[in-house]
Amino acid sequence: MKIDRDQIRMVIALFVVAVIAAAVTGLTNMFTREPIANAQKAALHNALQQVLPLHANDPQTEKVTVNDTTIYPAKKANGQLTGLAWEVTAPDGYSGSIRILVGLRPDASVQAIRIIYHRETPGLGDGIVKNNHWLDSFTGHGLDSRIWKVKKDGGDFDQFTGATITPRAVVKAVKGALEFFHVHHDLILERVMLAQIPANNTTKGGLH
Amino acid sequence: MNKSEIFADGFWHNNTVFAQLLGMCPLLGVTTSAENGFWMGAATVIVLIGSNLVVSLVRGIIPKNVRIPAYITIIAALVTVVEMAMNAWMHEMYLVLGLFIPLIVVNCAILGRAEAFASKNSVIDSLVDALAIGTGFTFALLLLGGVRELLGQGELFGFSVFGASYPDVLMFILPPGAFIALGFILAGVNIFNARMQQRSDERAHAANIALAALAADIAAVEVSS
Repeated sequence: MKIDRDQIRMVIALFVVAVIAAAVTGLTNMFTREPIANAQKAALHNALQQVLPLHANDPQTEKVTVNDTTIYPAKKANGQLTGLAWEVTAPDGYSGSIRILVGLRPDASVQAIRIIYHRETPGLGDGIVKNNHWLDSFTGHGLDSRIWKVKKDGGDFDQFTGATITPRAVVKAVKGALEFFHVHHDLILERVMLAQIPANNTTKGGLH
Repeated sequence: MNKSEIFADGFWHNNTVFAQLLGMCPLLGVTTSAENGFWMGAATVIVLIGSNLVVSLVRGIIPKNVRIPAYITIIAALVTVVEMAMNAWMHEMYLVLGLFIPLIVVNCAILGRAEAFASKNSVIDSLVDALAIGTGFTFALLLLGGVRELLGQGELFGFSVFGASYPDVLMFILPPGAFIALGFILAGVNIFNARMQQRSDERAHAANIALAALAADIAAVEVSS
């Protein structure tokens, strides 16, 4: 079969463009990987500061995993547990999933919640981010002290004018976090206490 | 065309939104606030400058039959770079615009400029064109975002304009409001353009009358002499 020179030129041109494009995106990935990780870590750090009680440790370095859920513990300087936080996802938001960081106290009541990702309608569903009064209505409550539904469904939590689906999804997801804590209570506390890193001994083996 | 003509053409006469009605997806999707509109526009400007630059550099080198896949590969690479950079250094805005950044690849305005302008013009002219088209697109996004934010929430760039008692007109935040607001903006642009046209016609007409009068005077003078 005769291949004419134009065809070869086409293949070479596309090949060169593809290689250069791959190299450029690869290089960018190399340079941005660390800043992206840092930005995500900083965003998580901010959110953790808001949902956890005062603590002396770094919850991100002491995280543990229970049933595929990453749990961030908050501890005082003497090692006493003051709170736990983990992320829950509400898959049934008005537009896509809502990711919520839930901070709990050891007595299984909510310390605070923060929305870390959502695509809800500005001015309607995004009250879950802007409405501090509503966010605060979770604080101090556990599974027994509240009916975990919006008022329209016969529960204790406000919905917003024109937006019921979003708060309903968030309330349900937070309730899910409380139930998760209820079910795995012992396992979570055990893992969290085991993971404790002695404050002045952070050498990674090798000294034996 | 000289540089200022290229700029005026790209920014206004051939504006992606007002004249060509292209790029509707990001336009209607992200313009719930002025700030979102602005940053979406800024990301588009960067991609457009990069793609026009590269395409005009390789014009004549890439065989005609494969130019479209080559341009799309170039644009997709640039968009990926912008996306990663935003994720790294503008994390919060990245979370807001997230879904729409990859969609810049399929903003036909960008491929359109590569095909219609950058592949036929010098590097400098292509850069001017990219800047003009990009700022024109950003202006449209900013305008629509501002109108929707103002009417929908009584705010502009997050600052309260109409005060706390303003009843949020949610329709303008929701997709139908985007179409309605865009319709009125386009009507306004058309009225403005028609006025400008009329004015320049009148001026030309007046000039013609003056010229005719002058010619008649000259003729009269010639006859009388």
